[in-house]
Amino acid sequence: MSDVISDVSKPDRLDVLLAEYFRPEAAPAGLARKIAAAARESGSALERLERRLGIEATSRGVSLVRTGRPEKPATAAARRLAEQAREEIHEYLRGQRAFFRVPVDLSAVPDFQRRVLEAAGHIPFGEARPYAWIAARIGHPRAVRAVGTALGRNPVPLILPCHRVWRSDGGLGGYIFGTGIKDRLAALERTTPVLEGCTSTRIVCRVGCIHGRHMRPDNRVVFASVDDARSVGYRPCKVCRPAA
Amino acid sequence: MADERGLMARVARGDQAAFGDLAQRYSPKLLAVAGRLLGSRADAEDAVQRAFLQCYAGATGYNARWAVSTWLYRILTNVCVDELRRRATRTAHDERSAAGALSAASGNHQPPAAYLDLHRALARVPREARVLLALRYVDGLSYGELARIRGISVNTVKSQLARGKTLLRDELGKRGAGHE
Repeated sequence: MSDVISDVSKPDRLDVLLAEYFRPEAAPAGLARKIAAAARESGSALERLERRLGIEATSRGVSLVRTGRPEKPATAAARRLAEQAREEIHEYLRGQRAFFRVPVDLSAVPDFQRRVLEAAGHIPFGEARPYAWIAARIGHPRAVRAVGTALGRNPVPLILPCHRVWRSDGGLGGYIFGTGIKDRLAALERTTPVLEGCTSTRIVCRVGCIHGRHMRPDNRVVFASVDDARSVGYRPCKVCRPAA
Repeated sequence: MADERGLMARVARGDQAAFGDLAQRYSPKLLAVAGRLLGSRADAEDAVQRAFLQCYAGATGYNARWAVSTWLYRILTNVCVDELRRRATRTAHDERSAAGALSAASGNHQPPAAYLDLHRALARVPREARVLLALRYVDGLSYGELARIRGISVNTVKSQLARGKTLLRDELGKRGAGHE
């Protein structure tokens, strides 16, 4: 502590060096105009997609996410799951959710496709992997094309993230809702944080946790890891368990 | 302060000129923080743009008891910290992680030679402490402001800064031994 106080009263060499290193930089011309233009167009394509989505569920989990009218749920449990999925997708598309809790029902999906979809589910939020990565992961390194087909028939896109699978040359590949949406989803995930802490409770959650919903916007701070959050006095949430 | 809040009120009403004013007034400092944390001018501009975008959309809720700068720094550090997280996971998943980490550390934005040692030493300071150091030295923010920006206690701010500087002194001492 005394170290810090002495630093305030008489700046030493390190202070001078740090102040020079962190001096302000000139802003590029037209920055404000660019930002205002981006603000006008952001989100609109994803909002249009959301309005067209139909969601079907069984009592075990979400079974279909497609544009168009969905079948009526057969049971009350199925209706609840479809509603939960709609809510989570709504939050996800607004950058307020970085994971899905709602279960999926892949019982009608062939074995090979299920393994492909489960492998895609392991790609972290905000990242991308090539088709060949999935093929290697499920033990069929030469079945790249079949992987593409299996992903293209993903019954539950968005929830199982086939949009995180790209071509090895960095190209987008195809997407069930169109490559424009695939590109938007990548941009969305690049700008959605994954871990946020609440400054009043000093608890760190995954973005989308039920606790986060009650958090005031001015109480939100983003962390890069649970360890970082711990190092400044936060503890991980027991509901969403971000450390797991 | 009153003047700044008036500016914020105009921004909230969608006044483009006021927004331009706000961006002009704060972007140099925000760029410096983002540039030093992310190591590249392009990434810094992107982060500052995103921060202003969030502020323009009003998604992050300005609290009128705060200085505008405190709020902007909160939003900006949220953006930067998340970007740092993304890089860390990317590096961890990258098979050529050693090469990846090296190029990420040097970036495409080399600081002047005089600060190269400091630049490298800072890379060894834990993220939270590095963020606090940047905010402290870019704008001379008080401990109270730093605490509010990162949502931590003043004591944590002090101990993190002291720890960061001790690490820097050790690192620079090791590197500087040959020169002095």
